Parts: sequence; structure tokens; C-alpha cells
Amino acid sequence: MAISGNLGGGASPSKELAFNMKLIGHHELNGNGNVGEGISIQKLRDGRRILWVAHESAPTNFTGIDVTDPRAPKVVVQTALPHSRVRSNSLDVVGDVMAVAYQTRDFGGTPAGFELFDISRPEEPKSISFFDCSGPHSRGVHMVWFVDGKTVHIASGAADFEPHDPRDDQMYRIIDVSNLSKPVEVGRWWAPGTRKGDAETWRTEPGGKELGKTGYRVHNTCVWPQRPDRAYLGYIDYGAVILDISDRTKPTMVSRWTHKPGFHHSLMPLFSRDLMVMSDESTTDGAKDWPMLVWMLDATNEKYPVSISTLPMPPVETFGQRGGRYGAHNLHDNVPVETSACSDEIIYCAMFNGGVRVYDTKNPYQPQEIGYFVPAAPALSPAGAAQMNDVWVDEKGLVYAVDRLAGGIYVIETSF
Amino acid sequence: MTNVAAKIPVSVITGFLGSGKTTLLGKLLRHPGMNRVAVIINEFGEQSIDHDLVQISSEQMMVLDNGCLCCRVRGDLQETLVDLWMKRRNGETIDFNRVVIETTGLADPAPVIHTMITDTSVCNTYVLDAVITLVDAVNGNEQLDTLEEPVKQAAVADRLVITKTDIAEPAEVELLEARLRELNPHAPIVRCVMGELDPKLLMDVGVRNKAASEAAIESWLGSQAFMPIEGAGASLRPDRPRPLPRGQHTAGVDSFCLYYDRPFSWKTFSIAMEVLTSLRGPDLLRVKGLVDIEGERGPVVVQGVQHLFHPPVTLDAWPSDDHRTRLVFITRNIPRALIENLVGAILATAPVGAAAAAPASTPPSTPSAGPA
Repeated sequence: MAISGNLGGGASPSKELAFNMKLIGHHELNGNGNVGEGISIQKLRDGRRILWVAHESAPTNFTGIDVTDPRAPKVVVQTALPHSRVRSNSLDVVGDVMAVAYQTRDFGGTPAGFELFDISRPEEPKSISFFDCSGPHSRGVHMVWFVDGKTVHIASGAADFEPHDPRDDQMYRIIDVSNLSKPVEVGRWWAPGTRKGDAETWRTEPGGKELGKTGYRVHNTCVWPQRPDRAYLGYIDYGAVILDISDRTKPTMVSRWTHKPGFHHSLMPLFSRDLMVMSDESTTDGAKDWPMLVWMLDATNEKYPVSISTLPMPPVETFGQRGGRYGAHNLHDNVPVETSACSDEIIYCAMFNGGVRVYDTKNPYQPQEIGYFVPAAPALSPAGAAQMNDVWVDEKGLVYAVDRLAGGIYVIETSF
Repeated sequence: MTNVAAKIPVSVITGFLGSGKTTLLGKLLRHPGMNRVAVIINEFGEQSIDHDLVQISSEQMMVLDNGCLCCRVRGDLQETLVDLWMKRRNGETIDFNRVVIETTGLADPAPVIHTMITDTSVCNTYVLDAVITLVDAVNGNEQLDTLEEPVKQAAVADRLVITKTDIAEPAEVELLEARLRELNPHAPIVRCVMGELDPKLLMDVGVRNKAASEAAIESWLGSQAFMPIEGAGASLRPDRPRPLPRGQHTAGVDSFCLYYDRPFSWKTFSIAMEVLTSLRGPDLLRVKGLVDIEGERGPVVVQGVQHLFHPPVTLDAWPSDDHRTRLVFITRNIPRALIENLVGAILATAPVGAAAAAPASTPPSTPSAGPA
């Protein structure tokens, strides 16, 4: 049966869509509502809760928002970048210490690396140290993973690293920050063949046809306490990579899974279930790169992950033209800190104009969508639609989502 | 889905031809309490909905001024529900949070209920919350005597609505109410004139929340209706109508509540229900209950219509100190003793420890089974 008529919808991007999720708080961050893919919540000794977000692009570096009352978020601090050709994009918080990434637009630019801050007084973050990753072939750090207070796992270039192709500039680096004042690199790994001097190359296949066009560089570099001897990487054109890091000075590849050279963004194991979730990232407007999906992988044998399903998304015919990007992006990464929810069954995804979508993967072969929240288009968004960029779920189940271009932060209650 | 509370609740309105469904819907569609409710109207109903209200000669679906989404269907209910969900998900319609389905007056309601329970594409998103049955006070007594569908419609109801009480003889209304209460003691009965009904009566009836309150669970189960009142002699609640005169019972239909003191294993309980439904499924008009299952903190909520049961829901905790299993049956041509014996026989063959349950011989305050 076809349904038609005045349905009260029209799929307008100016209309908020929600199912089992309800907006309870919103802040546009004083006109700097362009948030990157770094979110974390700090719990202060005085009982306050501060949401920290890194910005997608200059001029803002990071913003601290008091979300003790999540219905009334208040900005407590907002910092500026030194110039417009650098962005922070990513941050993580452990206790009262925050790591912030810096990635420059230009090779050889500065500051390129990450900075550690003492945020025990959130109103006045104090720099503890800066780990420099700049170099003639480096743009610095795109992403940080800092969850144990001792190690920062980064996607980064390095002064001594020259890739065959400039797009392959960022590799996985393990930085020991046991002494917060003196970060020290202890190990690194890159897709074999991407560095000049490697015996092989991944840029072309026999016959000279170019493979991935985005870059054989790493995006997410995550290590969870359940498997401290493993790193889980989203290695953009190369694939979803599991590394053995039991010897941190010499990481070795356990396996690599890929559907195509494309944007492998995040790889998150569901440890209790021998499953993994791999998220792509859509990087072009109008869903020209569709399908960019979230994949469920069977990891019973970690050497041979098997794709068993994808998380069901609304049709590209409807959302593809809603404005801006439409497709998968960040997951809530089950960040192992006390202010983060961790679930091996419920998956939270930020999907640009598809909003925040939540899935029950109890049956991993047939994941079900159990909630969604698509904000109305932010007033000044150049995309003309919401662009949900990242999502964090706190230990109480509240969802914090951020807009990539203009909308700022959204605090969402769930009812599933 | 993780929790039934996360699904979109569906209320089904049923009732025989002329029972006033169209009048009720006409009023409901205008009611401010119907904001964000999608109403599915069966195109084959006996009478058209007011065309001034719903101008859908060429359109099959529209949003009314009160925020109610009105949808007329000719085809398949499953397809309509799935299509509605897709429209909602795509932002092509209002974010409706409830669905009300009107069934055709001639229909046996069981297939609609079965669709809600078994069709994966439907029950991924929706959950049956309540069946509301309208019974016409003028013709209801006769229909219960002569036709099968009205009896089934009344038996499966979570709420019974007696209509046209303003034009029926008071004695007829009293008799009808008494018969309905006997036929389906767990369903609250309300009277309704010219479709004037608060939509709240149709909503949030079922136990959909794992942390449901005692009042909500008792209201849903209705086992209180079977509790004897000391000194009442006839084991009736004070508000129950007087016993029916001889010859006015609904032929073959019986309702009763069985209690069990000790917990079941899930396997034993499942076997008992499977045997029962395979032997007498068509005549199990309604089964619902709270079951004490070994190893579970709270009771398991079960409910079924004929041979099909809803997915069981385990509550977080018992709603009261009474942890006995209680099962309410509405049956056709099945004596209570048969069900008692059948369950007893299965319990007797179950391994020791796995099936410790037995009908309560000396319950704390009530007999082992409530009176019919």
C-alpha cells in the first residue's frame, strides 16, 4: 500500500526527527558550534561535570562546558588556536589531565603534535607539556586516544617519517606520558609500503591502477584495558587493523579487514561477544561516496574477521539530499573512563545529517535501530542540515552529540 | 529490541458491526489528547468516517489539526505499519508515538493480534499495548448469544466499552455488563455515549515497562477480580454486579485464575503451555499471567491469544509480597479442571527440583484458584 498526502513531514532538514531520544539541552558554544571528533567528560572533585570538546577548525581550540545540569549547559572556558592553519579536532580526558591534538593544514607547519593540560581548574587550563610531531612531511596529530593516564596513542606524522605519497603521512605512534612533563615515544607502526624505503608499496596494484584515494594513513588508534596487548586501528584506505602491541616497541599486525579502499575510521571490539564494530566515514556532501556504513564483524578468530551485517540506516534517497554529508562517522567508543558508558550490545553512531542513531546488536546478524535523534538544521549551518560529527554517552546514559559545522552540543535523553 | 518500552505502542479497537467504533473514532480524531497518534482506519468499515473531518478521497493519509495522523487503509495491515514506520524514520511524517488500529466489525480480532506478536517486521518496531472492545448495549446480549466473533472480541479485550447506553433499556445494560464481567473479569468496563471517551483509557494498558508499578501490573492482570471477599459468600468483589440469572451465561465461555505457590522452571512452564496450546489452542481465548520462574528476580509476564504468546517480559521485581504464579484464563468449552490436571500432569513428570511448582493447596488468603 502506498501512503501519500499531507503527512506533516516532507523530510525537511529544518524539522527535528526523534525516536526514543529527546533533546534536553543544547548550546551553540557562543557562535563556535563547529565541533570536531573529540568529546570527553571530566568529573571534578567539587561535583561539577565538565564536557570538553575539540573544534573542527580554527579559530577555536577547545571548549569546556559545565554540564552538571545537563539541561542548562554553560561554557566555562573557550580557548583560541595560534593561527588559522591548525586545528585541534581531537581530545581526551583522564582525571584532571587533558590531551589535545594539533594538526596543521600544511606539511611542515606548527604547532603539530599534542599538548597535555592540567584542567583541575577548568576555567584556566594550564599547559603541562607539548609533544612535537612536526616535520617536513608531517601535519601533526589528527587523533588522540588517552584513557589510562599513562599512554597517548596517536594518529600522527613525524619529523623522521617520509611517506611515498603525502596522503599517507599519519601512522600509529605510542607515546609514554607516565611523566606528564616529558612525553616519550615508545613505538610506532605504519602500513607496510607507505614509507619511503619500504620494500613494497600500497599505492598501486599491478598494472599501475591507483587504489585508495584518501590516504593509507591511520585515523582511530584505540587500546582498551580488556586487551592491553592489542591496538585497534581504523586505517583509512588500508582497512581495519588489529595490532599486537605486547611489545610496544615493536607492534606487529595480527589482521587486516577491508571492504574496499575507503574510509575505515573506527574499529571497536565488543570483547565479551567476540565481535567488532567498524565504522566508515563519509567525507563528501550529497552522499556521493555512499555507501559509508557501520559494519558488524565476527572476530571469533581475530586473524580472520568476518563481516556479518551492517547497521541499518535510513535510505540514501531520502537523506542523501538533505544537505551536507550523510553516512557513518564516529561511534561512541566505549571509552574506559568513569564518565563513559560501555556496552557490548548497544552501539551509538554519529551519522552527519542522519543524526545520532542507536542500535541494539543483541542479534549481530540483524542489528536493530532502537533510537535516533536528528536535530533541526542549525541556523547558520552552511550545509543546511545537521551534521552530527561525534557522540559520547555518559555513565548515566545521557547522550552528548556534536555538530561539525555550527550546531554546537546536544544533550539527549533516551528511553529505550 | 532491548526493551518493549522502546517500541511504539499499538491499541487495537474492535467491536461488532454497529458497536459504535466509527462514532468513537470520529470523536477521538478531534480530541486534543490524540496529538502524535497515528490512527489506522479500516477502509472496509461498515460506515465512513465523517468526510468533513477526513478529506481523503484521493489521499489516504493526513495530519489533522490536533496533530493526529489519520491513515485509511485498504490493504495489508503489516505493510501499512511498516510503511508508516519508514515514513516516520525518513522524516516524511509526524513523529507519532502511538498507533490506534480500528478493525473491521466482522473480524475475529485474533489474526490482528497474531500479526502484532509474530510479524518480525512489525514487532521490531511496534508492541501491542491494548485491545479495546466496544459492545453495543442495544444488541450486545443477543450478539453474545448468537455469534462467535463478539464473544472472542470481548474475551481478548483489555478494556471493554459499552456503547449506546443512552438508548438501551437499563436492565439490558446491567445484564450486558454482568455478562461481560463474567466473561472477562480482568477487563475494566466503561460506559460510553456518542463516542465520548478519554483517549487515556485506550493507552498505556499493557505491562511494557520492566519496572512497572504494582497498580499497573494488577490492573493489567486483573487477577484481583477473582479474589474472594470474606463474608461475600459468592466470592465476588463488592463492585461486581449481582450473579447472573440462570440461563444468561455466555455459552461455553469460562474464566478463572490459577495460582501456584512454588516456582516453575522455564522449561516446565513452556512445555505446559505448548501442550495446552497444541491441544486446545483455538479455545484458549485469552491467557495472561505472572509466572514465578526459578532463578529470576522478578516475575515473567506472559500473555497469549489462542495458540500464540507474546514474547515474555521479565520484570525487575515482584510488584508485591505475593510471589505466587497466577494465570488468568478465558476459555471456550475447556473446563478449568482440564487445565489444572494438564499442568499438574506435566509438573508430575518434570525432574525433581526443575518443577517444584504445584497448585497451592492452602494459599495464604485465597483458594488455589479464584472463582470463575
